[in-house]
Amino acid sequence: MSAPNDLKRFAYAERVIHWVAGLSFLFLLMTGLAFSHPRLFWITSLVGGGSTARFLHPWMGTLFTGSMVVMFFTWAKEMSIQDGDRAWLKSIKHYAVHDKDNVPPAGKYNGGQKLFFWSMAILGVAYIVTGIPMWMPGGFLGVGPFYGGVVNSMRLVHYLSTVFGGLLLIVHVYLGTIAYPGTLGGMLHGTVTNAWAKLHHPLWHKDQSG
Amino acid sequence: MPQDRGVTQSGLAIRRMSASSEPPPSPNVRTGPEYAKLIDISRCIGCKGCEVACKEWNELGIEPTENFGSMQSHRDLGPDTWLLMRFNEIEVGGDLQWLIKKDACLHCEEPGCLYACPSPGAIVQYENGIVDFNHDSCIGCQLCVSGCPFDIPRFNPATRKVYKCNMCVDRVEAGLEPACVKTCPTNAISWGTKEDMVTLAEQKVERLQARGFDNATLYDPAGVGGTHMMYVVPHGDQLGEYDLPADPKASPGALAALGGLRKLGASALGLGILGTALHYLGFGPQEPGAAEVPSNGVGGGTAPMSAGGESRPTVESQATGESSPTVPSPPTGETPPTGDPTGSTEG
Repeated sequence: MSAPNDLKRFAYAERVIHWVAGLSFLFLLMTGLAFSHPRLFWITSLVGGGSTARFLHPWMGTLFTGSMVVMFFTWAKEMSIQDGDRAWLKSIKHYAVHDKDNVPPAGKYNGGQKLFFWSMAILGVAYIVTGIPMWMPGGFLGVGPFYGGVVNSMRLVHYLSTVFGGLLLIVHVYLGTIAYPGTLGGMLHGTVTNAWAKLHHPLWHKDQSG
Repeated sequence: MPQDRGVTQSGLAIRRMSASSEPPPSPNVRTGPEYAKLIDISRCIGCKGCEVACKEWNELGIEPTENFGSMQSHRDLGPDTWLLMRFNEIEVGGDLQWLIKKDACLHCEEPGCLYACPSPGAIVQYENGIVDFNHDSCIGCQLCVSGCPFDIPRFNPATRKVYKCNMCVDRVEAGLEPACVKTCPTNAISWGTKEDMVTLAEQKVERLQARGFDNATLYDPAGVGGTHMMYVVPHGDQLGEYDLPADPKASPGALAALGGLRKLGASALGLGILGTALHYLGFGPQEPGAAEVPSNGVGGGTAPMSAGGESRPTVESQATGESSPTVPSPPTGETPPTGDPTGSTEG
């Protein structure tokens, strides 16, 4: 697992909240796709059937929203986009083809990770704002009912946000696992190797090794 | 399962079902004629016998009500009140008028509820035109309520299911008319084939116009492909006062857009997965080994593979970049093989 001179990347609390958000998002994505695509409706049987999926989806959404709020306050400061990140983002096409000589060195988080963070933060707001009227179309805290045009519009926005979120998740999981070996460990046991840090986050590595 | 046969327990042939492709043609089940119910509002005396008959036949529970200054029995439809006579009081030409509307499911030819429903087979439309909810499959999402252009279905929080008039489908299947038709003492409600009912309605409209109801009209809105409960409306210029939408649509803007965008959404996610797979095959994993091991692997841009046979064989051509797609790291990829070099070079 972790060797003595590995670098600490994510604290225990950070790892916990990440996985709460990640697994609840996966649940939401799968059941949401089942609701929006008849051919994927079978996915609901994995969680106990259509009614159960409909019952659990908003509660899981509540859990996801809560974890997003915690993550936001945990990481927002570290995720502020600097000039270096903008430069990084401009060279993203070099990054994509592993042409790392033409990619500005990244700090603890590169521009792409920061963009992912902010995108998910915005999408998280979109999910909860559009989700509540669908969850309680009869009314919520004295507001509503939302039946009709409101629910139908929310349904459209919720779906489109899900497609964006789903695409981000695919890229996030790919980069965090098989594309960059050694990354997943940072989120599982909290540490990464020196070599990993030097390759992917050279500025952070320099910072850590003093 | 109804999905498989295109037939429900009732034995009636199905024309459409929610969240499904068209059901297969179903032999050996009764298709029968396409029925319609016609409400002649000018003949209604507001006795509410139909409400009682509906409750009785369908064994619907009592929903307590109150006196709110109207002849109307309840303020609104409910999961146990599938039919409500709405008493809209307005002034027409200085006289008080009750613009009574028999508020219940109109059984649209293009059912907005069915199109909005995400659960396969939870809403079906039989060949005879009746739109029915199959509560075994209802997941309680209530999207049908929002999909209905007439605001008819009602949610029961106790059962987490949605309910509405089923046109007494069990009676119709047995060759009987719906309970409300049977009980109406003034023949304000007629029952028959859709064709016959349209003919009858036209006669009624003519008669009303002859009596001075110049704006009398048949309500059979085209936006939902026509309905299987139609109204003869004496004051056709005041549809709003009857709570009848002038131009209802089966799939209003957002839902129609969703129908189209769904295909793009699914494709986008599929392409996303495909894209990462192709990227992996083209560029492989980016191993952190290079920075750490000062072996011959580092400089070896021309022959990076298995050159050293050390424990990190996936040190690859990333340093020079341009050659990486053509020389991907060992295709066995996901787990950097700790294996012996002889095995890897053999292939």
